[in-house]
Amino acid sequence: MSTAMNFGTKSFQPRPPDKGSFPLDHFGECKAFKEKFLKCLRDNNFENTLCRNESKEYLECRMERPQIKNLSSRRSLVDQKESFDLSLEGIQR
Amino acid sequence: MAVLGRPPWRRLGACWGWWGGRAAALQQRQPPWRLKSTNPFTREQEQEWRRRNRTVLMYVAAAAVGMIGASYAAVPLYRLYCQTTGLGGSTVAGHASDQIETMVPVKDRIIKVTFNADVHASLHWNFRPQQTEIYVVPGETALAFYKAKNPTDKPVIGISTYNVVPFAAGQYFNKIQCFCFEEQRLNPQEEVDMPIFFFIDPEFAEDPKMAKVDVITLSYTFFEAKGGHKLPVPGYN
Repeated sequence: MSTAMNFGTKSFQPRPPDKGSFPLDHFGECKAFKEKFLKCLRDNNFENTLCRNESKEYLECRMERPQIKNLSSRRSLVDQKESFDLSLEGIQR
Repeated sequence: MAVLGRPPWRRLGACWGWWGGRAAALQQRQPPWRLKSTNPFTREQEQEWRRRNRTVLMYVAAAAVGMIGASYAAVPLYRLYCQTTGLGGSTVAGHASDQIETMVPVKDRIIKVTFNADVHASLHWNFRPQQTEIYVVPGETALAFYKAKNPTDKPVIGISTYNVVPFAAGQYFNKIQCFCFEEQRLNPQEEVDMPIFFFIDPEFAEDPKMAKVDVITLSYTFFEAKGGHKLPVPGYN
């Protein structure tokens, strides 16, 4: 990390994610999709382009979870649901 | 005895020998503040010259001090300028969310993203990435996983931050979703997968400073959080 003494160089500023953080999968309900995605990555020499379908499936699995589906009813967490939708759009392109 | 009648700076001339000669030579020099001309007509001109010289000296000294001050003031002023005009890499808020649907992947520029995981010494979690690297292109969204396990028998709350190396590439690194900057609670013996959904801005391919950058390292660090505290987003401002 950069120290405060560097006047000339730009210091690194971590930015929070645009739409907040994922509610984590504490119950491991989407673990199978994750394993499929990681296996696809390992088989394809860690190339992301070839494994986009698997990541789409993982995100759809997370979207289906009740705790995320119900997010739209909680105003403060509406953004998180939006970000899931955005993620899916990004994947589907 | 006549020596004592002389002014003090001329008394040494009474010494004999070589030292006397040196002392006499020294005493013949004028004190420096006396005017050079003894002619009353040119004395005023010389005083005028001296006054002008002093004025010029004051101006030059003030300019030098002003330059040094300006070089120190330039740093925050430049930062302000960059923030208002958006030049030089300070990113504009709201940039990433609008362009996810419309951005076009730059297919000929493959970047390897390596993952690193760290844990603060007081936090006894097993935290590691689930893939060592991933090859992405700018403009393409990618998913990556970290895994954390709480091997202790008490629930622990952690909070994480991240770092991107090289620093300059960090401005192009956009995270749509991740688990950072929010408290994550792990129960005893719980193990959880932590996804990160990110992309690299397509403008990365057009930045000449990034032309040689092929490897970006994303490093996450977990710290222990005391529950209920709202932590500010880290960074220097």
